[in-house]
Amino acid sequence: MSKLEVKNLHVAVVDEDKGLQKEILKGVNLTMNTGEIHAIMGPNGTGKSTLSQAIMGNPAYKVTEGDVLLNGKSLLDLPVDERARAGLFLAMQYPAEIAGVTNVEFMRAAINARRADDDQIPVLEFMKFLDKNLDILDMTDDMVERYLNEGFSGGEKKRNEILQLMMIQPKFAILDEIDSGLDIDALKVVSKGVNSMRGAEFGSLIITHYQRLLNYIVPDTVHVMMDGRIVESGGPELAEKLEAEGYAGVRDDLGLDVKLTDEI
Amino acid sequence: METQAEIEFQSAVSAFSAAHNEPDWLRDLRLTMLAKYPALALPVFEKIKYQRWPLTDVHEPAVQDSSAIDLSSLDLDYAEAKNVLVTVGESVIATRLDPALAAQGVIFTDLFTAVREHPDLVQKYFMTTAIKPDANRLAAFNTAFVNGGAFLYVPKGVTVKDPIQGYYIQDSTRTQDFIQHVLVVAETNSQVTYSENYATVGEQANLANVIVEVVAADDAHVRFSAVDQLSKATTGYVSRQGNLANDAKLDWAVGMMNDGNVVVDFNTDLVGHGAHAEVKVVAVTTGEQLQGIDTRVTNLGQHTVGHILQHGVILESSALIFNGVGHIVKGARGSDAQQESRVLMLSTHARGDANPILLIDENDVTAGHAASVGRVNEEQMYYLMSRGIDKKRAERLVIRGFLGNVLTEIPTKRVRDQLTATIERKLENGQKSE
Repeated sequence: MSKLEVKNLHVAVVDEDKGLQKEILKGVNLTMNTGEIHAIMGPNGTGKSTLSQAIMGNPAYKVTEGDVLLNGKSLLDLPVDERARAGLFLAMQYPAEIAGVTNVEFMRAAINARRADDDQIPVLEFMKFLDKNLDILDMTDDMVERYLNEGFSGGEKKRNEILQLMMIQPKFAILDEIDSGLDIDALKVVSKGVNSMRGAEFGSLIITHYQRLLNYIVPDTVHVMMDGRIVESGGPELAEKLEAEGYAGVRDDLGLDVKLTDEI
Repeated sequence: METQAEIEFQSAVSAFSAAHNEPDWLRDLRLTMLAKYPALALPVFEKIKYQRWPLTDVHEPAVQDSSAIDLSSLDLDYAEAKNVLVTVGESVIATRLDPALAAQGVIFTDLFTAVREHPDLVQKYFMTTAIKPDANRLAAFNTAFVNGGAFLYVPKGVTVKDPIQGYYIQDSTRTQDFIQHVLVVAETNSQVTYSENYATVGEQANLANVIVEVVAADDAHVRFSAVDQLSKATTGYVSRQGNLANDAKLDWAVGMMNDGNVVVDFNTDLVGHGAHAEVKVVAVTTGEQLQGIDTRVTNLGQHTVGHILQHGVILESSALIFNGVGHIVKGARGSDAQQESRVLMLSTHARGDANPILLIDENDVTAGHAASVGRVNEEQMYYLMSRGIDKKRAERLVIRGFLGNVLTEIPTKRVRDQLTATIERKLENGQKSE
């Protein structure tokens, strides 16, 4: 079993235009173990994506206080590639497009980066594993021969993120709004992929606006995030309450003084 | 009164020509250019300073045998090629042409054999159309001292399906000048794909002077790709010259992967109505080297199209200069000249330049340019690294993507894979000191 801990995390981003540092996360606490699925829900502009990028180690996000630990060891001094090899994965909201590098060679490089030079994955073994995962995700062979995300539709990109997740088999996967821009069929397929990963050695942190995704990937724990903090945690029923009452309702129940971005 | 004193190397050049049983016209042309070259001007390229390089420090010409040189370090792969020529120094070590093509009149052979067997045909095109022998000092020098090369001839109406492949290996196991001349002639309505490869075996410091002429007659279509990988100790002048008649098409895809100082004179003349050239160049520089690449397309005929796309990567303390010159002459109405030159710098010690030069002397045309010198895309790096790929490997992948739009243009998979491997090797070497 592995444990991912976020302790009193404060994160700021620098506004390049104004040269000002703006605090986005204001003390996030979160502990999750492999074998568990956690969901983070919250209104726009509340810091959900910032949390995922900060855990992964995006250099654009500056940790000003607190810590992120994997199995008790701080990750903060590690660059993003080392965090990935330590077991973290982030399915991104906006995956980069890279022409000239095929999807399949990229995935092989990613897998081999976790193995010794004299123990690279045999081609046949890799192809078998790839075919199996393509099947689960209803993806065709030609998708993997294409250049990495280049010219992919929004839905194809999301599927491709999940394919990478399934190939790399991390300890913890953060899924940043993997449901945005997906129709119901694609949503089901993506969920099927994530559910196929469920097990004692896999944990996931799912970031979403909508409860809908959580009908397909049922979380063990739901957290509500507002204004850079986790303000409430509970079981799957919390997601349903949010769906019924909206974020403003939860905020008022908790008596929080937070202005929501999209509030009318 | 005319002096009777012998010009340096005059008898050696004559003897060299005689040893190869060259026709008189070639011997005479050599001797004329031998007398002429020192007084001719060096070609001038914007921002490329190569004037002090030892590009004409020639050694006395002598027939040399390189057939026993060990080529295993080069990892050449031509066993499967149907149409191939492999030369080392002046020695031909492999030559094959599909008999069906030969029966149609296609010629592909080393230059010495060509001038013996097809003297008139070679004479008709050798430095008559794509470039003149006295165009500049380095062209005349090449003519006087040429000691290797090839002749590819595709007759009227013939389509060559399988690629034609030339490997020209510089023998630097000893002091020997590498002076190559390749002549490609595609007659009316013919089609051909030609790939060439220059590489060096051995560590000696030598000069290289390579001239490639491509003459495309009316409606001919030539797909030309090249990978140049001359050694660190080689100082080179590489000149590729194209001449296109009516509605002819020439697609260039060239990888400049040399390790030493090289100046590249890359020129295409769109002479005929509707001629079309696509010029794609990739370059990687490492170490202390300078590669100066001057890529020029001249629209002379009406409704001609010339597109230049150059992408380069600079590592360590090296320098890369891309000039893109699009010249539309007066009267070339309805023509199009577009160019894009982009350079990625991976080191703070690197120097790079991308100079778009548009010379437009006609109003009724379209023209455009884009040029940039920048650094590796951080977003792409982050994405690759977030999957566990280390920084250097991620960098190489991003670079491969950056160079990809030229790589994908290379028609044969073998050449493409080879260029990809060459880029990988050169990048890995360049990253060692990063």
